[in-house]
Amino acid sequence: MLVNFIRKKLHNKSRRLRFCNTLNVILFLPLMLLSLSSIVVAQALKLNVTFDEIPAGKSGITWVHNNAHSSDRYLPETLGAGCAFLDYDNDGWMDVYLVNSGPADFYTPSAALKNALYHNNQDGTFTEVTDKTGVAGGTFGMGVAAADYDGDGWVDFYVTSYGRNLLYHNNGNGTFTDVADKAGVAAPGWSTCAVWFDYDNDGKLDLFVSSFVAYEKSLNILCTDETLSRRYYCVPRLFKPRPSHLFHNEGNGKFTDVSKESGIADSPGKSFGAVATDVNNDGLMDLFIANDTLPNFLFINKGGGKFEESGLAAGVAFSDAGKPRSGMGVDAADYDGDGWQDLFVANIDQEFFSLYHNQKDLIFADEPGEIGAATRMLSGWGLRFFDYDNDGDPDLFLVNGHPDDFIEMRTSTRVKYKEPLLMFENSGRAFKNVSGQSGAVFSREFSGRGMATGDLDNDGDLDVLVSNNGEAPLLLRNDGGNKNNWVGLQLVATKSNPAGVGVTINWQAGGVKRSRLRTAGGSYLSSHDPRELLGLGNARRIENLEVRWPSGKVDKLQNLPINSYVKVIEGEGVARK
Amino acid sequence: MHGFSSQPKRAALLLPTQSGRLGALSLLLLFLTVPALTAQTGSLQERLENAAALIRENRIAEAEVQLQSLLKAAPNETAALNLLGALRAQQGRLNEAEILLTRAAKIDPDFVPVHMNLAFLYLLKSAPAKTIAELKLVIKLDPGNVEANYKLGRLLLTQGQIEEAISVLENARSAQSTSLVFAPLLGDAYLQKGDIGKAEENYLLVLGVQKNNVDAMLGMARISRKRGDPKATFEYVSQARERSSSAELLYKVGVTALELGVFDEAHTALEQAAQLKPDEPIYLVAFGAAEVKKSDLFRSEKLFRRAIELQPNNAQAQMYLGYVLYKQKKLNEARGYLEQAIKSDTGVPEPFYYLGLIVQEENDDERAIPLLERAIQVSPAFANAHVALGASYLKLKDYPRAQKELELGAKLNPDNSKAHYQLAVLYARLKDPKRAQAEMEIIEKLKALDQSGKGEGDVFVISPATPNPH
Repeated sequence: MLVNFIRKKLHNKSRRLRFCNTLNVILFLPLMLLSLSSIVVAQALKLNVTFDEIPAGKSGITWVHNNAHSSDRYLPETLGAGCAFLDYDNDGWMDVYLVNSGPADFYTPSAALKNALYHNNQDGTFTEVTDKTGVAGGTFGMGVAAADYDGDGWVDFYVTSYGRNLLYHNNGNGTFTDVADKAGVAAPGWSTCAVWFDYDNDGKLDLFVSSFVAYEKSLNILCTDETLSRRYYCVPRLFKPRPSHLFHNEGNGKFTDVSKESGIADSPGKSFGAVATDVNNDGLMDLFIANDTLPNFLFINKGGGKFEESGLAAGVAFSDAGKPRSGMGVDAADYDGDGWQDLFVANIDQEFFSLYHNQKDLIFADEPGEIGAATRMLSGWGLRFFDYDNDGDPDLFLVNGHPDDFIEMRTSTRVKYKEPLLMFENSGRAFKNVSGQSGAVFSREFSGRGMATGDLDNDGDLDVLVSNNGEAPLLLRNDGGNKNNWVGLQLVATKSNPAGVGVTINWQAGGVKRSRLRTAGGSYLSSHDPRELLGLGNARRIENLEVRWPSGKVDKLQNLPINSYVKVIEGEGVARK
Repeated sequence: MHGFSSQPKRAALLLPTQSGRLGALSLLLLFLTVPALTAQTGSLQERLENAAALIRENRIAEAEVQLQSLLKAAPNETAALNLLGALRAQQGRLNEAEILLTRAAKIDPDFVPVHMNLAFLYLLKSAPAKTIAELKLVIKLDPGNVEANYKLGRLLLTQGQIEEAISVLENARSAQSTSLVFAPLLGDAYLQKGDIGKAEENYLLVLGVQKNNVDAMLGMARISRKRGDPKATFEYVSQARERSSSAELLYKVGVTALELGVFDEAHTALEQAAQLKPDEPIYLVAFGAAEVKKSDLFRSEKLFRRAIELQPNNAQAQMYLGYVLYKQKKLNEARGYLEQAIKSDTGVPEPFYYLGLIVQEENDDERAIPLLERAIQVSPAFANAHVALGASYLKLKDYPRAQKELELGAKLNPDNSKAHYQLAVLYARLKDPKRAQAEMEIIEKLKALDQSGKGEGDVFVISPATPNPH
């Protein structure tokens, strides 16, 4: 009772302290810490965080996705597209990239379609700079993955397509050049998600590209039924799988396709979401890939450039009845703070989404808890574990939508084409559905696909960008997440890969130790703000923070300022941003 | 006249499954026979007949007064003891009923109606062996008793005593002019024995005379299914449904169609049955099962809830509601209904099994194990429970126990894809990729079957012949 009372006091006090000046805090805190030393544990404020839509009229993002919708129901029409937060001009503010469809063997647009790059004006508005920067695309685009693959300090990005893919190299002058052919990463066919990561720890970013089914106009099978007497989008089960690609970065602007020798090509799939993470803590990044109507893949990085597919033994490949599901979006994070990376995969309706808890020996147990009931009738795509309320642990945001626009006419199962977004708060060992308290947008329905997180207003909490199929994107501002304290890290590698993939950040604030592995990829067709935002709860300082780089270097940081972004340079420590 | 008890014992499921021709032979029908009392006064005869009439009209209190007064005057009057025994049974006072009926049987061991009532009473008391003994007594006293022969044959069949059932039915048929009455049941018995030829012979014998005989059509549907002829299976089921107009027959067709995987026909038949008798819990439960097969858990949930509203202690409805809630991941509410189902009837393994699955969902496999073991204790051949138990051991990394349970589960039900999948995972973890691959190949082969509704048996089937969901 007494402890609870004191905690409550501390909680209320810390609320007030946020409005005190620095001197007062310094004088007051030690006294408080002395008297309450037995219970000094970071107390995260229980915040009422909401996501509020920034309408196109306000943001200036007026672009609308064209899904090339036709009565022939060609499958690529319903599976796109992705979106990204990236800072293309290094001004410290997140810009927005949106992928569109385009000409294909089954589609000739009546007017030119283009992807869109929006420059962040730093005042809540954006200006379209697509043509100026030269990133309009021109393919039937699917996804985007951003990273500085050549380490020149400017972010580049890769656009996957039904058809050839694009690699937009940032020229550092506000323009980009497509170098996909020159670099050897055009990867024809149908590509979906792409991940930049360094699989061999040579300090260069390699590229994984998910391949979806073997498809072309002539292969569009007739899928219809008596009820509908019209075509609907075929289930991918009917199409043949294809191997995905792994490209090794040679460091000279060129990549080598190592799909065969690495073992990746031994497992043809119908792959969508992909995330690079280290599931066995051996310092090598593994890959978890969601497959549609085929078992998911867990490629364990064995070192020496080899991967071993271990999904079956790990228990992440099938449903618990041994059925392959329709895996779409994925992500990885250590959601329960046990030091081991857990996995998440979103499936189609009635298959349930899976939260795979890492059992520490390359075995996972599916423990979705409340997520199961909430997602039974939903089909999930974009998703991410991120700390939306800065209390220090990763929460979960899910974007949903059924791929078949006739689904409501075809079945009696109450599955809908447009579906709601979902927000789950991490309560330690499980997730609680807080969608009802997270803003009016959660009561609306969308044909959701891609999803990216980023701090678009640099206010210390993560905002969300959702790309919808055949609709305008949705830009959501996080309102309230920064009422807890935070610190933002911009990782600058000098020896490790430029994106810092595989970095482990360990920090202690308010007596609580936390750790985060920097993963790559995840979500669906989308790319996130590369900065790491660490939630501190109501702790007023970070007792210690270390950044362990894949190169082996460790930067130990002291006296970090809170509620601001700092630049951490590998081997040098902090450079105030 | 309906059953003695409001308790939905397993036997109660058999109530509406009789054919129209045999409707009068409803298993729970009370024998309210009043023998001609030639040696007794006219007033005694009249009073007995009057009491029987009052019971038929459900004027129980008046009948009771009449019978009490009669027995005060003539304490050893067997007909009165029989009527009062039947009345007590109808009130659910089964022990009192047994005392009265056995007293009547002692006084007049040759009084057939009292043995029939004892047979029904023992069925309600879940004592089928005693029921069989009473029915045998009836047949000894009255070898031509069609109902006793039919019911004995049927009961022996449900008890798995196939040879004896066949013997009883064949004897009865040879002694009866109404031999066709026994033919569909004989067909069922031969089918259970695996003698498809004789089964077909019996069904066709009936259909040759009565082309609209639903029992025989359903028998032929089963044979067609066994022969791997889905078209003929569908046609027989469809014909049977079209020729069924009563709720009872539609129910019978529906549950058989569910069992045979002809889901659309099952759904139509059971929907019609439920429309004809919307306040009959048993039809609502069966229709709910058909909705589950159509993946409409919302609608099935409503039907099960309505059944419980009508009959709060309906263990089957409680169990199935628990099941659909579990499938919707409404775990706490599901748990409540399954626990109620166990309270209503401890002799059913499924509620323990589903409770085990719920605890597994809650990541507490150590607590799931005793529940699954309890399910196996109740029904040692319950394949799904063995598989689930194996899965818990697998999660707890107790590989030897996992292997034992999973292999047993796969042996008990080779079509259980979950068993093969868990075995594949186990073998993969034991670094035996060949065996893992072999198990995955079995799953591939089962896919086609699974699409037609067989396979892992995740969704339950209600059937008069196999009342257990699995």
